Amino acid sequence: MSNREIIASNLVKRYGDFTAVNGVSFKVQSGEVFGFLGPNGAGKSTTVNMLTTLGIPTDGTATVGGYDVIKNAGDVRRVAGVALQEIGLDPIMKSMELLTIQGQTFGMSRKQARQRAEELLELVKLSEFKDRRVGNYSGGMRRRLDLALALVHEPEILFLDEPTTGLDPASRRDVWQEVRRLNRSRGMTIFLTTQYLEEADELADRIAIIDRGEIVAEGKPADLKAEVGGEAINVTFHDIDDVESAKSELHGMVDRIQVDRQTLRLYLSNAAASVPKVVQKLQSAGIELETLTLTQPTLDDVFLKVTGQRYDADGETIEAELHAV
Amino acid sequence: MSTVNPTYTGHKEQSATKSKSNRMPFVLQVTTLAWRSLVVNFRTPGAILPPLILGGFFLIIYEAQLGNASNFFLSGTSYINFILPLSIISSALSGAGVAGQSIVRDIESGYFDKLLLTPISRIALILGPTLAGAVILAIQATFIVIVGLFLGVEPATGVFGLFTVIAYAMLLGLSFAGFTIGIALFSGNAGATQGGSFLFFPLTFLTATFVPINLLDGWIKVAAQINPITYILDAMRSVMIDGWVTETLLIGLLACAVMGISTFGFSMVGLRSRTARK
Repeated sequence: MSNREIIASNLVKRYGDFTAVNGVSFKVQSGEVFGFLGPNGAGKSTTVNMLTTLGIPTDGTATVGGYDVIKNAGDVRRVAGVALQEIGLDPIMKSMELLTIQGQTFGMSRKQARQRAEELLELVKLSEFKDRRVGNYSGGMRRRLDLALALVHEPEILFLDEPTTGLDPASRRDVWQEVRRLNRSRGMTIFLTTQYLEEADELADRIAIIDRGEIVAEGKPADLKAEVGGEAINVTFHDIDDVESAKSELHGMVDRIQVDRQTLRLYLSNAAASVPKVVQKLQSAGIELETLTLTQPTLDDVFLKVTGQRYDADGETIEAELHAV
Repeated sequence: MSTVNPTYTGHKEQSATKSKSNRMPFVLQVTTLAWRSLVVNFRTPGAILPPLILGGFFLIIYEAQLGNASNFFLSGTSYINFILPLSIISSALSGAGVAGQSIVRDIESGYFDKLLLTPISRIALILGPTLAGAVILAIQATFIVIVGLFLGVEPATGVFGLFTVIAYAMLLGLSFAGFTIGIALFSGNAGATQGGSFLFFPLTFLTATFVPINLLDGWIKVAAQINPITYILDAMRSVMIDGWVTETLLIGLLACAVMGISTFGFSMVGLRSRTARK
């Protein structure tokens, strides 16, 4: 199998005084789905721009499929397919025309390019709209066509920059399904940026979390979650004043407590077995509970642990109170 | 390599259409992008029609207002022969904005980035729409020539002279298009591109606009002498009035080359600037 790795070494991108990406390093193995996760403005798209030769790094190096993104930019473009966050489609053109031109730019004859376009239109379920101008397509249709354009030359490495942002749940599931299929049936390395924790958890073999231009965590989702701890008990109170009282009461029973508005999240070993004790402790202190649930750790917990902030896809900083006790 | 997907079974779905060379010949890159640019422009005729109409309009007005006044410097030939090249150049000026606007539209829609991600040559990305702009200009020039024929144009070099005038218009169009594409790449903005196009506007008037250069005097004569458009206009007028004057035609070609190379260089710097900002 050919080299399908993506390697970034100390990538830096500065715009004047602002550092958008600050020393990012990682290695994506051949045939891996790699989730690159972070809130808006964290540096995901800037990193993708550098890896796909669209932007030039201020410092650092990167190779895609064994090719240097600066010295061998043409080769990188030949082995990689890219669907950017901003869907790059000419609204005046028809999907058949766009796909045919795309195929020709990768060296296909016009006949080959048209044949390939037909295959891809079938794949993304746009065959019946092939002679309609793209400007008349819905958001989901445009996203699917953009994915088809990225696949025209049968790339060995696929970059998907927030491929499901703005899609309805059904379209999002279609994209997920297609990502899995491309990875499994073709061994395609997929570099997927997303602001959705759920998406990274669902699709990625490994993830890296980027925040404010720096990678703050990297690993398999399961391993990262295991590092956070086991199950947690979430307790919600009717009265926000009870939160502080409950925190004092439970202080000695748990490993860590996270406060989020009217909810206490209790991290402790053997959480399920500890539920009765927690309830009893609170009742004996006269504190009334609204709900109590047991949850598995999520990537949200991972993000909280490594950044000290609750994850928010819009990039807003939400400080959460994190107590190690 | 622990995370390589275990279900990978090789390229089972490889399409029969997979290209072996993965490289499109350069000439085909340029013509494909030019064709695409033409398709887009013809689907949005609003950008093409006004310069077309304007060129014909100028020709009619110049002939009506200045036709009789020209007798003292044009012995034996009609003013329409003299002024036709200027109408074509005026049309070229407004028509050249089409190429820049095409690029702006691609930048705004994100399609320009899509093209940057293909192995297509950066030079072809500029030359494609430039060529399309020149083709559109040739169509506009042909239309103005037809209007001129109705107004009594009789070139000294016959029908080949008219083709020569259209060819010079195309060459000039390449230069103008390169300039507006450069502005589009630097600014990425439709308004700035439109405004930038009019930087060329004075060039069409700082020349032997309505009378031959030997009748000009003072600063306007100096300006006309250093303006390359003067020599292109001279070449076009010579085939209309004097016949085939090799030296004038060659100087005209040289002026086209100087302008074309300069504006192409400008557009390449614009492209570099745009990619460096990403």
